[in-house]
Amino acid sequence: MARPPAHGSVVVPDWHETTEGKEYLACILRKSRRRVFGLLERPVLPPPVAIDTASYKIFVSGKSGVGKTALVAKLAGLEVPLVHHETTGIQTTVVFWPAKLQASNRVIMFRFEFWDCGESALKKFDHMLLACKENTDAFLFLFSFTDRASFEDLPGQLARIAGEAPGVVRMVIGSKFDQYMHTDVPERDLTAFRQAWQLPLLRVKSVPGRRLADGRTLDGWAGLADIAHVLNGLAEQLWHQDQVAAGLLPTSAENTPS
Amino acid sequence: MGEEGTGGSVHLLCLAASSGVPLFCRSSRGGAPSRQQLPFSVIGSLNGVHMFGQNLEVQLSSARTKDTTVVWKSFHDSITLIVLSSEEGTSELKLERLLQMVFGAMVLFVGLEELTNIRNVERLKKELRASYHLIDSFLGDSELIGDLTQCVDCVIPPEGPLLQEALSGFAEAMGTGFVSLMVSGRVVSATEGWWRLGTPEAVLLPWLVGSLPPQAARDYPVYLPHGSPTVPHRLLTLTLLPGLELCLLCGPRPPLSQLGPQLLERWWQPVLDPLRACLPLGPRGLPDGFPLHKDILGLLLLHLELKRCLFTVEPLGDKEPLEKVEDDVSRAQLPRACYLVLGPGEPGTGLRLIALQLGLRLLLLLLAPQSPTHGLRSLATHTLHTLSPLL
Repeated sequence: MARPPAHGSVVVPDWHETTEGKEYLACILRKSRRRVFGLLERPVLPPPVAIDTASYKIFVSGKSGVGKTALVAKLAGLEVPLVHHETTGIQTTVVFWPAKLQASNRVIMFRFEFWDCGESALKKFDHMLLACKENTDAFLFLFSFTDRASFEDLPGQLARIAGEAPGVVRMVIGSKFDQYMHTDVPERDLTAFRQAWQLPLLRVKSVPGRRLADGRTLDGWAGLADIAHVLNGLAEQLWHQDQVAAGLLPTSAENTPS
Repeated sequence: MGEEGTGGSVHLLCLAASSGVPLFCRSSRGGAPSRQQLPFSVIGSLNGVHMFGQNLEVQLSSARTKDTTVVWKSFHDSITLIVLSSEEGTSELKLERLLQMVFGAMVLFVGLEELTNIRNVERLKKELRASYHLIDSFLGDSELIGDLTQCVDCVIPPEGPLLQEALSGFAEAMGTGFVSLMVSGRVVSATEGWWRLGTPEAVLLPWLVGSLPPQAARDYPVYLPHGSPTVPHRLLTLTLLPGLELCLLCGPRPPLSQLGPQLLERWWQPVLDPLRACLPLGPRGLPDGFPLHKDILGLLLLHLELKRCLFTVEPLGDKEPLEKVEDDVSRAQLPRACYLVLGPGEPGTGLRLIALQLGLRLLLLLLAPQSPTHGLRSLATHTLHTLSPLL
């Protein structure tokens, strides 16, 4: 399995803050609000711009209550549910994210399809875990900084869920990082985990999204700024993995440490 | 009645019948969910008096105080539901229907087995949390009326036959007889199989889909209270366009992954324009340009055999925000008319209600005060005739 690429080596990291990046991002926003696309729709760029779309399926896994549904809602720019109740079954959410590749300076429209399922439903109905794992391009393992048990559960999950899928991207995300005063997961444990597993590990805050002047509508631009690092991180890992699978990059055996 | 500050409250209690253990408590005030909890002593008394009666083989069904109505209902000797309402103009019948809907919602999520054979109370409480959102929508204000009429809220799309054809073809290809298109909790079009769903699931499913937060697709296990209360089916929903959902009720196949964008585009891209035309249908229910007399403020058309209804308090389409308050008044008036058939009142004194039944169709109209009395009957008859081919 190839070593994951260093952050910022595949995708230009702060491109979404440049003038050019903002022009592309405008296609997923409408009057500063995140646009919601139906399955028959996709973002439209002003002609004559035409960019390729790269579609990926991502399974979000983690113990009940760590914030899977909330994370997906944040990535999609949707309202995060205030009261927690376990997700009834499988839910999928589509997020479009234009990103610029370092190597070729090409802009690619990434289409992420996040699959999220409640823990009890997964246990009760056999077809659900199968449906989530089938043909998935990436596993996103979620733990919460305020719940040590969810961090300690990661190795078990990695074995159970990603065990039989060698070529699939695996990433770990720690949620509720804003509550670091109550953190059950100190920095040294994260470092140890990174060294042991060699997996990209990102942190996400779970603060409520900023609102526009009307006090009600979520601020689309601010919301994107909050989670751009996650979407860029995902884009990088997936694009890199595709390149490796296509034989365009050396595997870890031939790779010299960068 | 929709004005700031007033608006009664509704409290709903659910208890395990044998042990009296409370399973959940939901409340609404002024039409919106509220956190206000009834004191435990009150809950205990309400349940106690009901159990006392039961032990003496007396069924306590309802009670009234000066401003509150209470209704009790027991289900399968296992679940007791109690509702207290201090909303103006509430009736026992309305509250009984509410409890039937609530129990239906509980079965929908956890299945009848779990409710009639309670093994682990804590686990059941946790599982029932999934149904709160749907139950809250029954307690509060809604644009839908299916809970009261026990008929499915429908809208009339501009190109019905075209959508119907696409739907039937799609259903056959997917190997299921139960497919429908929904917008804002109302059914736009459905296969024959879907229309034959029993009560309460025919009303519960659109209501459920309309109450969920936006997701591109879902694969939810549901238990149909009438048709299949102990064996779950899969409810698949796909958001074709924002607000417009394609819903399938099926067994183990097809898997959700099969219903990807390529397959959906193949079936639904050809009718994209008719689909888009369905998006604004929610509040009015009828296509733009469908002629309705200008004196009509609100309309409720029921097909008593097919159990479908068309309900609107915005017959003229897009309204200014100021007029929305009047809509709330109309919305509150029409349901009462389901149980009261009023003739035309004195001309010029407030709103008028007229009810007309022709064969299987019942039409209730809320009319402006200035509508001339002598013309009311013909207005109603004419409206019923123009609407009859649609529902």
